[in-house]
Amino acid sequence: MKQLVSAPALFVGAGICLVGGLLLAFLYAPVDASSMGFSQKIFYYHVPIAETALVAFGIAFVAAIAYLRTQNLKWDRLGVVCVRLGLLFSLLVMITGMIWGKAAWDVWWAWEPRLTTFLLVCFLYIAYLVLRSVVEEEQRRATYAAVFAIIAFIDVPITFFATRFLPEGLHPVVITAGGTGMEGSMLVGFLISMLGMTLLLVALIRRDLAVEDLKDRVADLKHSIGG
Amino acid sequence: MSIEEAAKFVAAAYAVILAVLVLYYFISARRVNTLRRDVQLLEQEVQRRQAGAGEAGGE
Repeated sequence: MKQLVSAPALFVGAGICLVGGLLLAFLYAPVDASSMGFSQKIFYYHVPIAETALVAFGIAFVAAIAYLRTQNLKWDRLGVVCVRLGLLFSLLVMITGMIWGKAAWDVWWAWEPRLTTFLLVCFLYIAYLVLRSVVEEEQRRATYAAVFAIIAFIDVPITFFATRFLPEGLHPVVITAGGTGMEGSMLVGFLISMLGMTLLLVALIRRDLAVEDLKDRVADLKHSIGG
Repeated sequence: MSIEEAAKFVAAAYAVILAVLVLYYFISARRVNTLRRDVQLLEQEVQRRQAGAGEAGGE
C-alpha cells in the first residue's frame, strides 16, 4: 500500500525550491529595468507554471502513443492525470497572465498569438475530458482519448513558438536560442522556481496516479463482496 | 505604474497561485487518506466474509 502513495520528499523538495525561488525573486533579483518594472516579478512563477503545463500535456501525448501501441490502461491513466494537472497549471497561467497584462500593459486580455493559442490549448484539453466523460466502455474511451490527446498536442508547440514566429503580439519572448536575456541574479531565481514547479508536477502526478489506483482497488473490493 | 500599485498586482498573482496549489495539495492528500481508509475497511470486510464462509464450510 505504501508504494501507492507519492513520496513526501518530492513535495518537500518542491516546497523548498518554490520558497527559495520566491525569496530570490524578491530579495536578490533586481527590479526589471524595462517598462514592466516591478510587475515583472510575476514572471518567476508565471513562466515555470506555463512550461510545466506544457510538459504535462507533452507527457499526456507520449502516454497516448504508448497506449495505442500497447493497449495497456496504465498509459491511459497517466494521460488523464497529466491532462487534469496540465489544465490546473494552465488555469493558473491564464489568471496570472491576465493580472500581469493588466499591470504591465493595462489590458486584461488581448487576442494576440500566444494568448489565443494557449486559450485554444485549454479548450482542446477540456474537450478531452468531456470526451472521456461520454464514453462508457473503458478500452474504447482510452482509445478515443489517446487519439484526441495526440491531435490536441499539435497546438502545444504552436503555442510555444507563437511569439517567436509571430512577434507582433504583446507577449514578450524571454528565452530564445540566443540566450535568456536575463541578468544572472534573475536567472537563478527563475531556474530554482522552474525546478520547484517541475518537482511539484512529478509529485502531483504520482499522487494522482495513487488516487486512481486506490479507486480501482476500492471498486475491485466492492465487486468481490457484491457491493 | 508605481511600485506600490504594481505590488498589488504581484501580490494578487502570487496569492492566486499559492492558494490554488496549496488547496489542490490538501484536497488530493485528503482523497488519498479517505481511499486508503476505504480500502482498509473493505479488505477487513472481505476477510471477515471469507472467514465466515470458511467456518460455514467446516460445519
